[in-house]
Amino acid sequence: MASPLYSRLDMDADGVLAALAQGGFENGPPSAMRRTLLDTFDGRLNAAGLRLEFQEAPGHELVLTGGGPASAHIPASSPPRFGSDLPVGPLRARLTPLLDVRALRPVVSLGTRRRSAVQRDKLGKAVASVVVHDRLVLNGELGGDDRGLDPSWVAEVDELAGYPKAAKRARALLGSLGLHELDRDLMTLAAAGAGVELGGHSGSPTVALDRREPAFEAFRRVLANLAGEVDANYEGTIGNVDPEFLHDFRVAVRRTRSVLAQGKGVLPTEVRGRFREEFGWLGAATGPARDLDVYLIEWDSYVAPLEPDVAAALKSLFEHVDHRRLNEHVALAMLLQSRRYRNLMGAWHDWLAAPAGEQDLGVDAPAPIGEVAARRIGGANDRLVARGRKIGPDTPAEELHELRKAAKKLRYLLECFGAVLPSGERKAFVQRLKALQDNLGEHQDTEVHTAHLRAMSHEMIELGAGAETLVAMGQLAGEFERRRIAARSEFAERFAAYDTAKTRRTLDALLRSAAVTAP
Amino acid sequence: MKVLATYSIKGGVGKTTSAVNLAYEAAGNGARVLVWDLDPQGAATFFFRVKPKLKGGTERLVSGKGALAAHVRATDLPGLHVVPADFSLRHLDLHLDGRKRPTERLASLLDAVADSYDVAILDCPPSISLASESVFGATHALLVPVIPTTLSSRTLGQLAGFLNRNPDSPGLLPYFSMVDRRKRLHRELVDSLRAEWPDLLTTVISSASIIERMGPERAPVATFAPSTPAARAFRALWAEVAVRLWA
Repeated sequence: MASPLYSRLDMDADGVLAALAQGGFENGPPSAMRRTLLDTFDGRLNAAGLRLEFQEAPGHELVLTGGGPASAHIPASSPPRFGSDLPVGPLRARLTPLLDVRALRPVVSLGTRRRSAVQRDKLGKAVASVVVHDRLVLNGELGGDDRGLDPSWVAEVDELAGYPKAAKRARALLGSLGLHELDRDLMTLAAAGAGVELGGHSGSPTVALDRREPAFEAFRRVLANLAGEVDANYEGTIGNVDPEFLHDFRVAVRRTRSVLAQGKGVLPTEVRGRFREEFGWLGAATGPARDLDVYLIEWDSYVAPLEPDVAAALKSLFEHVDHRRLNEHVALAMLLQSRRYRNLMGAWHDWLAAPAGEQDLGVDAPAPIGEVAARRIGGANDRLVARGRKIGPDTPAEELHELRKAAKKLRYLLECFGAVLPSGERKAFVQRLKALQDNLGEHQDTEVHTAHLRAMSHEMIELGAGAETLVAMGQLAGEFERRRIAARSEFAERFAAYDTAKTRRTLDALLRSAAVTAP
Repeated sequence: MKVLATYSIKGGVGKTTSAVNLAYEAAGNGARVLVWDLDPQGAATFFFRVKPKLKGGTERLVSGKGALAAHVRATDLPGLHVVPADFSLRHLDLHLDGRKRPTERLASLLDAVADSYDVAILDCPPSISLASESVFGATHALLVPVIPTTLSSRTLGQLAGFLNRNPDSPGLLPYFSMVDRRKRLHRELVDSLRAEWPDLLTTVISSASIIERMGPERAPVATFAPSTPAARAFRALWAEVAVRLWA
């Protein structure tokens, strides 16, 4: 993907270009260039081995490298925010599945003076290309002061497909000048200079734990990691940069509340009670905006089963949902900038950093986390199974919702304390649980959407929606109801597939491994 | 990877100039493009200034001993690579005939580079032969230049008839090429053929001396005359094709 770089501290770029000219290379005119690396907050393109750059030199274009020997180029007046901002074509087709709903953002920006030296064959065809970058300036308009980079210039050998010998000769020529190969490409160098991690934000709820360490310290580390997640997604949630920020923020809050609930006997009672209530408030506050985000993310799949004219009649509903969604995001942003939120997170960070000695600890606080986590996970599963077994064909829907909450609690425990469990077996068990959760999620989501539609039908009438739109909303509600009934009828089979002796054996083996605390 | 071929039973209809200019437009609009020059005359290879040499010749390439990627050459145009032609391609039919499932051979060679490119454009020699059938087996759509002559409709009909015999055949994307609007007959035939072939792409490539300049310039029109009607026409033609492929 990236071309190798060469440099030498006691030599300047002009000397290299002069030597290349002597070696038969044609030197091109200099051009000022700014390269801005784009990726999602969680580094999806980097993880896929791709580099997307917005290059200003002086025409503006997007350049995607990686995924083969050829780069992809497309004119662009400004960096795109989403895959859907790109024109219909191959670049959009490649990027959209990777980006999904995530927004692109600048990772690092580098200004350079670019001078290329090209070696040609008898046909006038370029067979080797060396690009010398100097006047390297980091960041620029990305914020902070412009600053230089170390080294101050680099030579980049552009490997042209089909001409490996010429590239080898170019590298040898640079080597003969005393230039040494750097272990990174130009944008990796820029990212390192700017102190930016190319891999993006990982956001894993699983922290490193020693099974023998005291449960109190382990719980606090898990909670501190989740607090870091809340903080990491705070700005993106307030700015409504993309729906994943709110999703990850909300999940971190809910995990925090769940871990606090599971901390009975480990964490101080007063602390548990106070922060459970406050994180409960925060979790509830994120619900309306997230529900409407989901509505729009899933919109295409919702309307796909409908006839095209019915789907078209729902355009004004889509716009109304979007309008409501934006209002909910504004309300959430205000709440997240409130004194109550600041006090909550300030007090929470204070408690997470407070010395353990000052805490009024529970009886399980000094016990090894392996044992405590095993007991908590086992208990959460027992409650899930007992609740699920009581559900029959006529059980009210609320019971399925409660079962969904119980499944989430178990899932959060498995994820947050996953480090005390054998990784492979844990993932296999989570897959079994996930199959059940998917069914419960489909049931609840479709029910919530139907309720939303019912509420919005009144709003749409007030907004003057025509009969076609209202009839189409009825058909959409019918589609949700069809899906809800299908999920409900599938439930017994899904639960039976989870509630098996094999599942229990798998879990027991996992918990036995967690509880082994001998060195 | 979307595989296209500029193809016509007739020669001298603008296949290679279309392949070269469309490849340039595709590469300028976000595609990683591979042009495979299958014509032993090697005109596309010439336009890209690449040495007309297939290492080991066509026999080695078709035998599968040498992967297609080993023959790929970067052009001087960003995002655009070429598999050059040489004179050994005149025996392509013969070498394909010696292989098992000859009509699937080109597809299988292209499969190996499918993750590296978004578009492959096969520039085909004028004929209908075993090699043509192998091209049909590898492509999603055939770009067929049609000169407005009385024989063109018949030739297009022959090709459509041949392809219709096989349900797995590629789609047909015919378009007018080398049109001279000063000729009354051309104007009349464009109208009548469009009525006869409603699937004809709307863009018309007119006959233009600037396209002939590609020879001495050895480059796509848009690189040396980007504002000319010919360059704009190829840009519009690619835009139409891209919508058909990705919309």
